Amino acid sequence: MNPFTALGLPPRPDLTDEQVRAAWRSAAAATHPDRADGGDPAAYAAAAAAYEQLRTGWGRSEALADLAVLPAILVPDEPAPPAWLKAWRAAAWLPARIVYGRPLQLAGRTVVAALAGYAAALLTAGTPSAPAAVTACGLWWLATARADLAPPPGR
Amino acid sequence: MMGMLRLLAVLWLLRMAFRLLRFLLAAALLAVAWPVTCAAALSFTTAWLLGWPPARLWRAAARSWPVLAVYATAAALSARSWRPVALAPITAWQQATLMLAHGRVLQAMVLIAPLAVPAGLAAGGVVWARRHAAMEAGAAGRHALAPAIFDARQWRRAARAARGRLAAPGTVPLATGRGTVPVGAVIRAVGRRWTPVLEVPAAAFARHMVIVGASGTGKTNLMIRLWAGWYACAQSAARRGKPRPLLAALDCKGGADARAKADRTRRVLRGTGARRIAIWPDEASLSLWALPPRDLAVLLHQMIEHGDGAAAYYADITQAVLTMACCAPGGPPAGAAAFLARLDHGWLDDAWSAGTPAELAALHAARPHLGDIQLRYATLLGRLGPALDGPGRLADADAWYFILEGTAEPSVAEAQAMAITELIAHAATSRHTEPRTMLLAADDYSAVSRRVPLSNLYERGRSLGLGVMVSAQSWQGLGADDDERNRIAATADGGLFVMQTPYPEPLSALAGTRRVLESARKLLGATWGDEGTTAIHRAWTADPDLIRQLDTGQACYIHRGTAVFVQVARPKPSPLPLPAPRLPGSVIIPAAARDGHHRRDPADGPPTLPLPLLPADGPPPGSLDDVLGPAAPGGTLQ
Repeated sequence: MNPFTALGLPPRPDLTDEQVRAAWRSAAAATHPDRADGGDPAAYAAAAAAYEQLRTGWGRSEALADLAVLPAILVPDEPAPPAWLKAWRAAAWLPARIVYGRPLQLAGRTVVAALAGYAAALLTAGTPSAPAAVTACGLWWLATARADLAPPPGR
Repeated sequence: MMGMLRLLAVLWLLRMAFRLLRFLLAAALLAVAWPVTCAAALSFTTAWLLGWPPARLWRAAARSWPVLAVYATAAALSARSWRPVALAPITAWQQATLMLAHGRVLQAMVLIAPLAVPAGLAAGGVVWARRHAAMEAGAAGRHALAPAIFDARQWRRAARAARGRLAAPGTVPLATGRGTVPVGAVIRAVGRRWTPVLEVPAAAFARHMVIVGASGTGKTNLMIRLWAGWYACAQSAARRGKPRPLLAALDCKGGADARAKADRTRRVLRGTGARRIAIWPDEASLSLWALPPRDLAVLLHQMIEHGDGAAAYYADITQAVLTMACCAPGGPPAGAAAFLARLDHGWLDDAWSAGTPAELAALHAARPHLGDIQLRYATLLGRLGPALDGPGRLADADAWYFILEGTAEPSVAEAQAMAITELIAHAATSRHTEPRTMLLAADDYSAVSRRVPLSNLYERGRSLGLGVMVSAQSWQGLGADDDERNRIAATADGGLFVMQTPYPEPLSALAGTRRVLESARKLLGATWGDEGTTAIHRAWTADPDLIRQLDTGQACYIHRGTAVFVQVARPKPSPLPLPAPRLPGSVIIPAAARDGHHRRDPADGPPTLPLPLLPADGPPPGSLDDVLGPAAPGGTLQ
């Protein structure tokens, strides 16, 4: 059985010793055979084995790695993905990068760029400066907004 | 006499008139080109206030080309011809000037901005660069100390701007998609093109890299960032078919700090995709006995101090006994107990009963010393502890963090360092294990370098194809003498990171010097006159005085005769969850594995490294006493 499931823990890499210990205390208290209702010896044994595996950082590393089923070395060499696929993957991560980055600053930056572009377009309507000024605002937004995004996963 | 005076007066008047004329012409030109003048003045002031280098203004100007392109296209489309595009700047200037004359300032500015801003940025950059050059040459400023004050002020402002850039989460990730490792925000670049962020190519890690910084200067942050960045880049390369990465970090001082640092390293590395991170000796062990028998014999011999002179005889006898114990026909010992059992004449006689006459003669000669040899090795292996007595292999983890108690137990730590480096060398050269891209990082290696000089470690690492990164708290900590220190530092092809340290001169010298202009001006009373001389001098590329004054987290990266001062970013992996590993539809064994390389098969189950055992006197695993305390009377849980 997945040791994380046995202790009712999420399989996350940032679990601490204290979290695992607390989960084990809870599982043990609920399933111990010495309880008045007889407990659940099978669940207790599974929890005890899981705690033994997850009680150290190295053990958790092992368990997490085993959850991956197959190590990366067994996957054959893959060719570099095409540009459109890379762009699609990058776009798919964008909402999460915004949420985990600085969404308020990004929103403020977006509002400023939009208002500036709008005002410039109004002030210079009908001249070549209008689209150019809007482009300048867009460029500024593109050049600076990237800093407000969280890095892609693994970086 | 009067004629001469008249001539001098006329000449003076002519000179003054010429200067006035030149000034008026310049003023008229600036007034006519008012949009560019305004933009240049604004960019100059911004660069001065924020400590920006001229390159930053030029970069901004260069990146404005889409604005010009859009403007030209719009002008061409509105006139339905490309001819008016050439006159568009003049037309826009006329319109904007007219608007300005009518008090429509904002509208005039916006109208001309698409043309004026790129030009103003470029012009402002030129003026700012000239100002920089004049101050650096000592040819500007109102008094003799002005250049020094200007430099110190610009440094402060640039450092503040660099710290500000690091506040954004996306400015300095641990690695980039281009295979580079961002280190931090650039404060000043000398002899090299300025970029906002210093990025070190991952390929530089395959060479030798040196980090020197006193305690509390942020060296740990820098090292963890470099390790994590290298790992992320190598992991990314592994997905494209390169060997998987393996990081081996040696913390040679040990102590409680080392545990905290190991834990932090683990957290950061996990964020980059490392799954198994082993902390030795607290949580994982290695087997010294996995080495090839001959290497094992040599290593065991080196781990004991033998002395010289008459003691050399006994050293040779010990070597012969170790070789026979490790290379016995039945195979090498499986552990410390088996090895010690072999240091017995009965066992050796049995094992080598079919040996050659020379082997039997060596055995006979060594017999009187076997007890002493066994005692020495029993003591040594007892002090080394169980962490080198396996089981466990380097290949079982993605990263190893070795804690050597070099401060508390230097002799033990030295022996452990020898054993670990030998195991790493074996892993790097073995043809029977999965090939890995390896980085060997030694933090404060001087604590254990008495018997294995750092230069040896480095040269060996290079010859084995390992990347080697070494750190020390000072120039003196790099080696025992100047010769060794120079060998280490001068061959750091991957670059040197120098943080605040009291004696940076030898390291600064490696960046070389550059040509600068130095001006001497005549003083008239307390003020400068209008005469002077300028001469070419050589100045440090990496100014040692600046390095001495670096703040916490600031470093100077010296590489190929250039110096980049950088504010190192705190290592923080992306908070986004890593995608699940790609699972193939069926298990496909790669060609390399089919051809005889040993690779782990999923059917083998979990890796061979054991879980740490509970203390011998502790409760059995799973006992409630372990966590809930002893059971209360009556059988109820406490």
